[in-house]
Amino acid sequence: MDNIYSLYKCRVLRVYDLTDDVKLFLFRFENPDIAESWTFIPGQFVQLDIPGLGEVPISICSSPMRKGFFELCIKKIGRVTDKIHELKPGDFVGVRGPYGNGFPITEFEDNDLLLIAAGIGMAPLRSVFMYALDNRWKFGNITVINSAKFGKTLLFKKELEAMRDMAEAENIRIIQTVTRDPDWPGRVGRAQEHIKYANTKPEDAYVCVCGPPQIYNDVFQTLIKNSYDPRRIYVTLERRMKCGVGKCGHCIAGSSTFLKYICVDGPVFGYYDIISTPGLI
Amino acid sequence: MRYVKITNEKIYDFLERLKNYGKLYAPVKISDKFYDRKEIEDVREIAFEYIRTLMPAKKYFVSPTEKMFEIDIEKGEYKETLENIEPFVIFGMHACEIVGLRILDGVYLDKYPDIYYKRKRDAGIIVGLSCLPDEYCFCNLTRTDFVDVGFDLFLHELPDGYLVRVGSPNGHKIVDENTDLFEEVDKNDIDAFRAFEEKRQEMFKWEGSFDNMRYILELTMEDEVWDEEVEKCFGCGNCTNTCPTCRCYDVQDIPDIDGKKAKRIRFWDSCQFRGHGLVAGGHNFRGTKRDRFLNRYICKNAYFYGLGTSYCVGCGNCTYFCPANIDYLKNLMKIRSMTEVKNG
Ligand SMILES: Cc1cc2nc3c(=O)[nH]c(=O)nc-3n(C[C@H](O)[C@H](O)[C@H](O)COP(=O)(O)OP(=O)(O)OC[C@H]3O[C@@H](n4cnc5c(N)ncnc54)[C@H](O)[C@@H]3O)c2cc1C
Ligand code: SF4
Ligand code: SF4
Ligand code: FES
Repeated sequence: MDNIYSLYKCRVLRVYDLTDDVKLFLFRFENPDIAESWTFIPGQFVQLDIPGLGEVPISICSSPMRKGFFELCIKKIGRVTDKIHELKPGDFVGVRGPYGNGFPITEFEDNDLLLIAAGIGMAPLRSVFMYALDNRWKFGNITVINSAKFGKTLLFKKELEAMRDMAEAENIRIIQTVTRDPDWPGRVGRAQEHIKYANTKPEDAYVCVCGPPQIYNDVFQTLIKNSYDPRRIYVTLERRMKCGVGKCGHCIAGSSTFLKYICVDGPVFGYYDIISTPGLI
Repeated sequence: MRYVKITNEKIYDFLERLKNYGKLYAPVKISDKFYDRKEIEDVREIAFEYIRTLMPAKKYFVSPTEKMFEIDIEKGEYKETLENIEPFVIFGMHACEIVGLRILDGVYLDKYPDIYYKRKRDAGIIVGLSCLPDEYCFCNLTRTDFVDVGFDLFLHELPDGYLVRVGSPNGHKIVDENTDLFEEVDKNDIDAFRAFEEKRQEMFKWEGSFDNMRYILELTMEDEVWDEEVEKCFGCGNCTNTCPTCRCYDVQDIPDIDGKKAKRIRFWDSCQFRGHGLVAGGHNFRGTKRDRFLNRYICKNAYFYGLGTSYCVGCGNCTYFCPANIDYLKNLMKIRSMTEVKNG
């Protein structure tokens, strides 16, 4: 029997500073069989391990279309992530996964796609976005709303900016907005204030939201006011995690009628799950 | 199901023979008030009358601490550490605890089967034993007072011995290899078995159904009835440690002195501890004592799909062992306004 906690050896190929405290890492699997067979759904995460320090759950932020490689975007915030930020190309880490349900991406097909991110929330949504770009013909109009407090903390700011021309030609709208940066030349205000500028047809769109839980209620209200279908709104949630496979109990959330392991039953939940379950957000 | 009988004269022979199938663990009396399970040398030590032990039998399957990997930090290599597991026999598990073990099976042997648990589960033989409830037991309400799968043999007390239900191939094997110990069940035994079950049902303090509890709990979480109880709680985690279905664990890497190697260990954790829901940056998903206190009630009353019961098996351990005298069942009864005390 396999040990579900065993780690695949992965090599760091590239490290790129996204902001002062967030880096983007490109990894590849050492074992060719794993590289060939490993795949994931946008919205899923991996357990990334630093030997001797421990594991952290991190959303995969690249497209599953590129076999054997994946990207993680990681904020330096504690013991393990500090060490991760010291990694250099050529270094090795352990990875297991992918875990979690991911977004119901096949259900999204043939529809418009509205992605709303705040802060580090752009990480899992970038995976959805990249997947949609790789399968452009399967989706309708697409809007990405990327928000942060300051221009310098906007994740993937340059990447999204650089896509603008291509985006225009492809019926993709990219909206980058900040809330507290007087020097920012672009759009200002919270993510939900820009929903009205999306190119997505509300009755025809799936919506993915990821950010700090405090924003969810406001975003929901704005979406519903703008006629988006509540049945098609998805969010991803975060909890402390130790195992990623429904064993350690740390990520358990919800209430007695709807008790969920965020690592296995989530991290993606639908709007109606959220509003009917105290304690989920 | 196959039924056989063993008489009181042969029961100690039987227990002695169980040792042929592995290390024998059974309940013994350790003080005026307490029983615990331990490895048995002298089978006459075994306490048949016990109701609960200090530690539930889960400790044999989910070790309080367990080494998972040896890590070579410099090379970035991990070696799984699978300890040598000898066959063992747990004698005397009650119905609630066996259901509890099946709940653990549902968690540990789901689509991500846990090898450390699986190996112990495969090595363990379970011999159940009937019981009569004390005032802390409420397995009748949780519908876990009788168990039909999850044991190898189950012994039901008769006036002159035990009616034995044979619940697995291993159970059949034990019976077949020791035919001199067993006899056929006759009409008197069946009557006695029925009478025992009837008497047992009479002894439960409460009656009614718990099935709507999870809804009532959800609807009353903000109520002030909880305030006083939350205040009383020390957050010590005795309740989760002694619960047959609580299984939270934490993981840590312990480096060797020279920092070149480390051991990855996991150990029991409790949702009653502050760190359980704490994430990087300081946010705590179970930040208040009330959050933590209610988390246990929420989690235990949630629906376990695998069995169609709640995660609570009604054993009463959490109340019995709580140093703050917090009565889990009474608290639930309070919000449920359930007053049908039969034998109060
Ligand atoms: C499904 C999921 C996806 C995530 N995706 C990303 C991502 O794409 N990029 C990113 O930068 N961060 C992500 N996080 C958060 C990230 O896991 C934490 O920031 C990280 O665990 C902090 O670890 P640390 O050791 O540096 O911090 P410490 O505070 O030292 O934490 C110690 C340990 O506690 C646990 N822990 C602490 N905080 C968290 C947390 N927020 N979530 C889960 N476990 C935690 C971890 O096991 C960690 O090793 C994600 C979290 C979850 C649950
Ligand atoms: S045993 Fe009692 S005091 Fe200790 S955490 Fe549980 S409820 Fe609180
Ligand atoms: S919650 Fe209490 S009564 Fe229920 S199974 Fe756990 S220890 Fe027993
Ligand atoms: S992270 Fe361990 S149960 Fe979800």
